[in-house]
Amino acid sequence: MRRLIVIASALLLLTLLGIAWLESRHVIPVALTPSLTGQVEYCLSCHGDLPEIGKSHPVKSFGCVLCHGGERLALEANLAHNSMRGGKNPADFSVVQASCGGTICHSGSTEGYRDHIQRATTSIQATYAGAIASIRYTFGEQPDLTAHLGTTAIQDSQSTSGITSLEVFNPLLETNPAVLAFGQTCLTCHLFAQPGQTGGRYDHFTGCTACHTPTQSSDLTSIDTKTATQVHKLTTAISYAQCDTCHNRGNYDLRAITFQPRQDTPTDRLHDYYQPIAQFTKCEYTLDCIDCHTRTEAMGDGNLYSNKKQIQYIQCKTCHGTLTGLPQTLTITDPNHIAFRQSLLNPVIELKPGDNVLVTEKGEPLWNTRLQPDGTYELVGKATGQVFPFKPVMGSGCTQDPDDQSSGSCHKCHSVER
Amino acid sequence: MRPSFFHHLHPPSIPARQARFRHTLASGGLAVFLGLVLGITGILEIFYYIPTPGEAALSIQTLTFLVPFGGLIRNLHFWAAQSLVIVSSVHLLRVVFTGAYLPPRRFNYLLGMGLFVLAILLDFTGYILRWDEGIRWALVTGTNLIKSIPLLGKTLYGSLVGGTEPGAATLIRFYGWHIFGLALAAVLLVAWHIFRVRRDGGIAVPPPPLRETQERISRVELVRREVLVMLLASVALLLLSVFAPAPLAPPFTATSPLPESVRAPWFFLWVQELLKLGSPFLWGVIVPLAILALITLIPYILPKPIQSEIGHWFPKSNRLAQVLFIIILVSLLVLTVLGLLPVSY
Repeated sequence: MRRLIVIASALLLLTLLGIAWLESRHVIPVALTPSLTGQVEYCLSCHGDLPEIGKSHPVKSFGCVLCHGGERLALEANLAHNSMRGGKNPADFSVVQASCGGTICHSGSTEGYRDHIQRATTSIQATYAGAIASIRYTFGEQPDLTAHLGTTAIQDSQSTSGITSLEVFNPLLETNPAVLAFGQTCLTCHLFAQPGQTGGRYDHFTGCTACHTPTQSSDLTSIDTKTATQVHKLTTAISYAQCDTCHNRGNYDLRAITFQPRQDTPTDRLHDYYQPIAQFTKCEYTLDCIDCHTRTEAMGDGNLYSNKKQIQYIQCKTCHGTLTGLPQTLTITDPNHIAFRQSLLNPVIELKPGDNVLVTEKGEPLWNTRLQPDGTYELVGKATGQVFPFKPVMGSGCTQDPDDQSSGSCHKCHSVER
Repeated sequence: MRPSFFHHLHPPSIPARQARFRHTLASGGLAVFLGLVLGITGILEIFYYIPTPGEAALSIQTLTFLVPFGGLIRNLHFWAAQSLVIVSSVHLLRVVFTGAYLPPRRFNYLLGMGLFVLAILLDFTGYILRWDEGIRWALVTGTNLIKSIPLLGKTLYGSLVGGTEPGAATLIRFYGWHIFGLALAAVLLVAWHIFRVRRDGGIAVPPPPLRETQERISRVELVRREVLVMLLASVALLLLSVFAPAPLAPPFTATSPLPESVRAPWFFLWVQELLKLGSPFLWGVIVPLAILALITLIPYILPKPIQSEIGHWFPKSNRLAQVLFIIILVSLLVLTVLGLLPVSY
């Protein structure tokens, strides 16, 4: 019996030593108490090597849990990640209100279009209402091009566009085989949907981060990691390549209702753009999309629309004017003007009160442009910081019909051969 | 050698035949040891546990992940509690299958049954104290069962839950029950139970003239055997604690969506299966209580084992009790296994 007790004691001692050794190998807790939450979190114990997401969301203020959710105290991966919102993507529209919303964040004031979540989720990029209405109209399933259906059922009683609600588009309720096929194969092109194509240039997140978080192939300024596809980054300096993850993925065939992913590998910027038959002027392939297209065009203005043409309105004349008129400009004097806020978020240009910037016919400032003392203009690339000087049409040798301001009219002279 | 305090807790000698591991299955001693482990680890947990809905699960996470050896303490408490339910069941089984409940030990059998119920209730209340998503069945379905009791249901529910739905009052009540209402009662009952073991003449054994052998072992040998079992049990508890940590889930919130599979704690899986049969009051309250009453009344309503056979495995004279016990045991095991199968809703 004594020998048995000695053996059992040795066994217990061995077990205790083993436990002490295991305990010494545990993750060393790294505490962080973000100023916005005031609640300690330990995510950095494992994720300390992750680059900070951006200057607008410093980790010391935001921490991780405010946006990502998760168990802030857990040092065991399964539990810690268990209650995370949207998996790796807290900005997915299913959880965006909890992750990015709130009165002090991105769903607060309607003033100055700052209720971003409301705008983005009702935008044509999220509802896909335009494509759905067009296809249903084309195949005789609805009498006109007015949108009635969207990717999700949505109501907006304050919509001033004439559309105050969309029912959910359920392909299985469609009788026309083409519309059914569209529903089954083409509903991966909106902000609610996971990308249909994956890998490299097609990778993007859903929701806000579809645009605001670059992928490895679209993050042209800094490639942080070789292993992860997505970069831990939030930015308003969105390069054309990010837009390309959706808008340049290939071509579709309306007769067969099929999508053909792009097969070629473009070697220069000009050929890395849209469909092969499209025409471009120089600015269309040297600038980034967001250098001209405004935030309400991209993210909506809070109203529900039937077609992207109803919200997309920037034309050549917005910057260049016409033969008979200069482009509209605005002298920004109010220090609280939205242009200052925008230039602060993406500081490629240092705006000063009294600066003259171009302004769209809807009154949106093109805050990355400036009227020069000599009457010319300059535009600073939002993603590149590159400066592009340009002149107005008025006073030039342009022979365009002032009443025809379509891009096709400008392309007659200003297209680049491809 | 002058006997130590621990030796003095034991009788000077006990019958050798009934002191063998194969007779006791070490279950009574193990239950006491597990109770000690639970007491010590439980007291340590009190210093970190915060019994409010907002903080409970977080304080357990703090204890588990951030307090040095806190996770180990919690895992030991968890595994000792689960083991106690099993070890107590084995102890009960040994008592029934050796006819050890024959008077004068009949009253101590009642005390033992009381302790067994306390062990289950302690396990259940301790489980609720986690206050995380894992306890949803126990908290919602378990407490709703009380409502199904005619006439008394609402009052009982109100006094246990402290409101119309689980909340802060529920948690503090379960905390109070766990530590004072149940653990303190268990300590007193254990003392009484052990006192009665000595008072009733030690381990059940036939009267001296009817014994096959008069051989006895000293308390020194008995304590050695106990020490051996405690050492081995400690190793087992530690290994379980390290390699199978106690479950944890995100904090319980009334609004969070129902998880895909909601399960009862393992010791109530059989009740969960019974509930699928129909009336919650019948299958969730009456039947479990009837089973408990049946086991409790074994020494009173079934034929008594004869003196010469007690202290031996499977006496012929209490076959009926054995058969009844086996039927109940197998039924509960089958229902538990059914409850473990993947949930199909």
